Amino acid sequence: MASSSTSLKRREQPMSREGDQLIVTPLGAGNEVGRSCVYMSFRGKTILFDCGINPAYSGMAALPYFDEIDPSTIDVLLITHFHLDHAASLPYFLEKTTFKGRVFMTHATKAIYKLLLTDYVKVSKVSVEDMLFDEHDINKSMDKIEVIDFHQTVEVNGIKFWCYTAGHVLGAAMFMVDIAGVRILYTGDYSREEDRHLRAAELPQFSPDICIIESTSGVQLHQSRHIREKRFTDVIHSTVAQGGRVLIPAFALGRAQELLLILDEYWANHPDLHNIPIYYASPLAKKCMAVYQTYILSMNDRIRNQFANSNPFVFKHISALNSIDDFRDVGPSVVMASPGGLQSGFSRQLFDIWCSDKRNACIIPGYMVEGTLAKTIINEPKEVTLMNGLTAPLNMQVHYISFSAHADYAQTSTFLKELMPPNIILVHGEANEMMRLKQKLFTEFPDGNTRIMNPKNCESVEMYFNSEKMAKTIGRLAEKTPDVGDSVSGILVKKGFTYQIMAPDDLHVFSQLSTATVTQRITIPFSGAFGVIAHRLGKIFESVESSTDEETGLPALKVHERVTVKQESEKHISLQWSSDPISDMVSDSIVALVLNISREVPKIIAEEEVAVKSEEENGKKVEKVIYALLVSLFGDVKLGENGKLVISVDGNVAHLDKESGDVESEHEGLKERVRVAFHRIQSAVKPIPLSAE
Amino acid sequence: MGTSVQVSPLCGVYNENPLSYLVSIDGFNFLLDCGWNDLFDPSLLEPLSRVASTVDAVLLSHPDTLHLGALPYAMKQLGLSAPVYATEPVHRLGLLTMYDQYLSRKQVSDFDLFTLDDIDSAFQNVIRLTFSQNYHLSGKGEGIVIAPHVAGHMLGGSIWKITKDGEEVVYAVDYNHRKERHLNGTVLQSFVRPAVLITDAYNALYTNQTQSHHRDTEFLDTISKHLEVGEMLLPHWSQRSFSFPIYFLTYVSSSTIDYVKSFLEWMSDSISKSFETSRDNAFLLRHVTLLINKTDLDNAPPGPKVVLASMASLEAGFARDIFVEWANDPRNLVLFTETGQFGTLARMLQSAPPPKFVKVTMSKRVPLSGEELIAYEEEQNRLKREEALRASLVKEEETKVSHGPDDNSSEPMVIDTKTTHDVVGSHGPAYKDILIDGFVPPSSSVAPMFPFYDNTADWDEYGEVINPDDYVIKDEDMDRGAMHAGGDVDGRLDEATASLMLDTRPSKVISNELIVTVSCSLVKMDYEGRSDGRSIKSTIAHVSPLKLVLVHATAEATEHLKQHCLNSICPHVYGPKIEETIDVTSDLCAYKVQLSEKLMSNVIFKKLGDSEVAWVDSEVGKTESEKRCLQPMASAAAPHKPVLVGDLKMQDFKQFLASKGVQVEFAGGGALRCGEYVTLRKVGPTGQKGGASGPQQILIEGPLCEDYYKIRDYLYSQFYLL
Repeated sequence: MASSSTSLKRREQPMSREGDQLIVTPLGAGNEVGRSCVYMSFRGKTILFDCGINPAYSGMAALPYFDEIDPSTIDVLLITHFHLDHAASLPYFLEKTTFKGRVFMTHATKAIYKLLLTDYVKVSKVSVEDMLFDEHDINKSMDKIEVIDFHQTVEVNGIKFWCYTAGHVLGAAMFMVDIAGVRILYTGDYSREEDRHLRAAELPQFSPDICIIESTSGVQLHQSRHIREKRFTDVIHSTVAQGGRVLIPAFALGRAQELLLILDEYWANHPDLHNIPIYYASPLAKKCMAVYQTYILSMNDRIRNQFANSNPFVFKHISALNSIDDFRDVGPSVVMASPGGLQSGFSRQLFDIWCSDKRNACIIPGYMVEGTLAKTIINEPKEVTLMNGLTAPLNMQVHYISFSAHADYAQTSTFLKELMPPNIILVHGEANEMMRLKQKLFTEFPDGNTRIMNPKNCESVEMYFNSEKMAKTIGRLAEKTPDVGDSVSGILVKKGFTYQIMAPDDLHVFSQLSTATVTQRITIPFSGAFGVIAHRLGKIFESVESSTDEETGLPALKVHERVTVKQESEKHISLQWSSDPISDMVSDSIVALVLNISREVPKIIAEEEVAVKSEEENGKKVEKVIYALLVSLFGDVKLGENGKLVISVDGNVAHLDKESGDVESEHEGLKERVRVAFHRIQSAVKPIPLSAE
Repeated sequence: MGTSVQVSPLCGVYNENPLSYLVSIDGFNFLLDCGWNDLFDPSLLEPLSRVASTVDAVLLSHPDTLHLGALPYAMKQLGLSAPVYATEPVHRLGLLTMYDQYLSRKQVSDFDLFTLDDIDSAFQNVIRLTFSQNYHLSGKGEGIVIAPHVAGHMLGGSIWKITKDGEEVVYAVDYNHRKERHLNGTVLQSFVRPAVLITDAYNALYTNQTQSHHRDTEFLDTISKHLEVGEMLLPHWSQRSFSFPIYFLTYVSSSTIDYVKSFLEWMSDSISKSFETSRDNAFLLRHVTLLINKTDLDNAPPGPKVVLASMASLEAGFARDIFVEWANDPRNLVLFTETGQFGTLARMLQSAPPPKFVKVTMSKRVPLSGEELIAYEEEQNRLKREEALRASLVKEEETKVSHGPDDNSSEPMVIDTKTTHDVVGSHGPAYKDILIDGFVPPSSSVAPMFPFYDNTADWDEYGEVINPDDYVIKDEDMDRGAMHAGGDVDGRLDEATASLMLDTRPSKVISNELIVTVSCSLVKMDYEGRSDGRSIKSTIAHVSPLKLVLVHATAEATEHLKQHCLNSICPHVYGPKIEETIDVTSDLCAYKVQLSEKLMSNVIFKKLGDSEVAWVDSEVGKTESEKRCLQPMASAAAPHKPVLVGDLKMQDFKQFLASKGVQVEFAGGGALRCGEYVTLRKVGPTGQKGGASGPQQILIEGPLCEDYYKIRDYLYSQFYLL
């Protein structure tokens, strides 16, 4: 788990189908609950979903397997909600790795993220070297996090994404990512049931090609909300009526707010309970109330209507407790305390005091991570170990009433049936539960068109998408719609994943790019007669037109309709042309020629002889060059029968006819490559046609 | 061929009248904004009334009267029934603006163009979107995608992008490129080369020179612009610890502030950042007292004070009242934060030199008394009897007539509107019995707050007409005890306002004309939050639309901007007149082709900014699915004229050369002197950057020397040769 760059592995990219392969790799939350982190890569774009820790571990062991990836290659990191198992390794990832992409989360998530992690750093009791990050890192990370509103579409490097309401907790989002037309939905934790303050998860408008979905609840079915709320209030009512105390260990944010809303309302309706105090013992929850009081728009209509009268998050019967010292344990009471897992802290202190009295009750309100005390006492053991190491009998009643805001089996299967994604990837679920869910989903989608996968951590799922690249031909080039066999030539402009083909003259019209022409004018000292230049040029170039300059009346020459040679004065001539490779070359040769004239007297050479000889020589030279270049490209090139070149690459053989450029090969790819290579080599070694227009 | 696009303005071209434009895209009619002015002149809406029923969707840009004022009236009277799209703050603050308008008007006149109910029902069906949300229309508008983007003028203010088949139509009025205290600047600059841009020339002739921190304030309006100033005042006040109180006076002040507090997502990055770090909501205005009626202000301790009151035009409302009271004291100051609407009192006062006297008609609603009251009551009783009689007649008729389901459903509705559904004023006999509809009474209110249904009114053949909603128990447990008297999404109004609205005592309006001596100082400071002329031009140049439609400005300003754009931005600029339909269908030719894998494997892209470019030579073929497809050429392609792609900026190039150790300096005439001999200059028409002016012409000259070739190589390195 070292963060040094030496341990970062670069993923092998298969050469042939690079563009089409989509890889999904859970770095955490694969067959487990906690440390959500899913890596995805498609067509050179990489996305990381969530960045959590496993709350059951501390230090490096809690992190997802970041060393499986190269953080510097990640374009976008999307955080679904503020829970520790989804967001808590973010400061580490942002500040202590080479990551340099962009991070997005919703407004509410960002506001709570900071409070929550600052609290996490303070509470966690690990040694300094085991600390993944400190408060300073969190503050620094805040500047790098960008916010996204629900439904707002953001585009980064051609990756388009937007988010939907996910239920679960305030600000929770499901992300839909669109890369080159392939859509991936990552649900994060979601709930399709509307509760007291949150909206139900939305059903996305479009069906995704891949759905990465949580499976926390597996095949369980939740009780209806009314039943569990009744159970909850009944247990509390009867316990306090008998003089007992109720402990509700709950995570400070998320479900806690929902439970407080229920309790406040129940108390308001039962005046006989008014003398029994309700406390919530979490400074963090107290701090976050301001956030809950502000982002009313992210909540459901019910809360928004209540907001019209009074803020529902200003409780009338519930008071906050700062520490156990402020708590006077003098009779029946209801205390909601964090942490939810009873690992340590206030909830554990109260548990230790209250666990041996059978009048008391403890209500576990949601999903508990394996390995925590809360998970253990659900099975009602006879004895428990206290924080001071002693054992005590467990006499208090333990109730498990799940207020879990995770989708249950019914919700998951209807959600998937509505979306009908061809690929389903299960994450964020305990291995056995996930297996059962997978089996049951198979029976729901029996037609075989749906792939359901549950990769383990670091196990990659590979999928192939046939990406059709569509281009839009626009402007002058598109004035006539071409028929089969017509040729289309123009500039191909790629922006993100959209392609446009246009004529060079239209480039500035349809894109932000512009074209330029560079006119060059150089003066050369030349004191001889201009006629000499004209004569010499006429010998070398095919087309030399003479004219006179209109302004000065001095003679001028136009070579190949490209370069104008003018006599500027007695001592200078000037060359003017518009830049392109051929004109540059022509002008260079003119310059050389002019310089030569002034240096030496003309020689008489037997032209024809030289010409014949050089042609033969040239032919040989060309062949040599072609051969050498082919060897440098393909390695194994031999001269075969009837003058053909035999090229073999990886066991595939191609025959190349040097004269016609025809290639024969079994292997299509090789054939194409050789053909193109040969064509390019030929155009490089053969004389350049000057009549390019 | 491209998508057909027609634009026809309904109001607000060649003058500063409210905005309302009809844009039809392939036959789907969008109404862009639905504004009215503070005078509520129905003649302005005539063009709208002719087309209202054909509108398929309404897009609202800003929450003020000029942009959405006519919505309730059009919905009620003109047969506008299309779905309305707006952002959440536009919806919410727009609703409050209309409440405020209505209440101000009602105080001074027999205002009957629309009622609070009409406002409620008009705003009930608004579909709320967030910024940059791509909303896909369905049904008739299949294939059209609409998206609001940040305009930066007011909270939630949006510019709209309508896309069909890659063709973009952008509607951007009253945008602001600068970051304000509570708002982010517009993102208009990020749109590049839309097919059509519809924009205003409002500030084309206006150049703003004020430094933002030199602005001080005293007086202003339009609900959401208050916020800007409110925000501004705050730190100022706490710094100097003035003892003068600040008052924020509108009929809906506290609801406005309450809502605004929860609109944090829509505000600027700095505001949300301060919330994230300190959890301090910027709109917890500690130094500002919120008032909802003028008596409170009158009761406030005498002495210097600052009052923010609504209705910038001074045509009605608190602002007008206070103006009349304060105008003749030279120690007072009236501070305008924006240019008043044309033809209003505010505009008159802003003219230079300001008038010494203004004639003001003051109207006031007074309760009826004495004989008038008796007469009124008799009249009402008569009406009531008639009503009852009619109702019973109708009832009898209904029982007699063989009743098809159609009759049943329509008839009682007719009666309905006449009797029970008006909240204010015309409620008829039920003086103390108030129907609660459209807002939530506060928990502390007493008896008159309970709903009362006039039983005489609604009868059908089965007895009393029942509204099933009244009997639905909403989600049993959840609502238990939580809601007082069926909360409504629509509105949340202050207690006193509510009682004001419910005040149905018979009253009448009396008017008297006053000559007000204007001896107080008048100052105008720009808090308008609109881009000024220069930035408008540069913004348009940057966006450089293929076609440009100019609206909402005086004839002069429109002409000015039109000429400017014709000269240097794009050749197609239109300034349509009211009800003149112009066709801005793009003459763009386009077709789609598939790029075959074979072709793409041979293409070598070069990266240039956001995009990558390459030259392709290809041949058209067919895929299996009979689609057009580009394949590599079978034979060698004919050579093409090389193209240099790139945008050379002399300044950047100078720095580049300097970094390479070449001595460079600008010589006269924009020429760049490189080294001792070589000069580089741009020739030909110098067009706007990225404008439609054609390729750049660069001339490099010098004597034959080594430097020349070196600099030429550097120059080439700035371009891609294709």
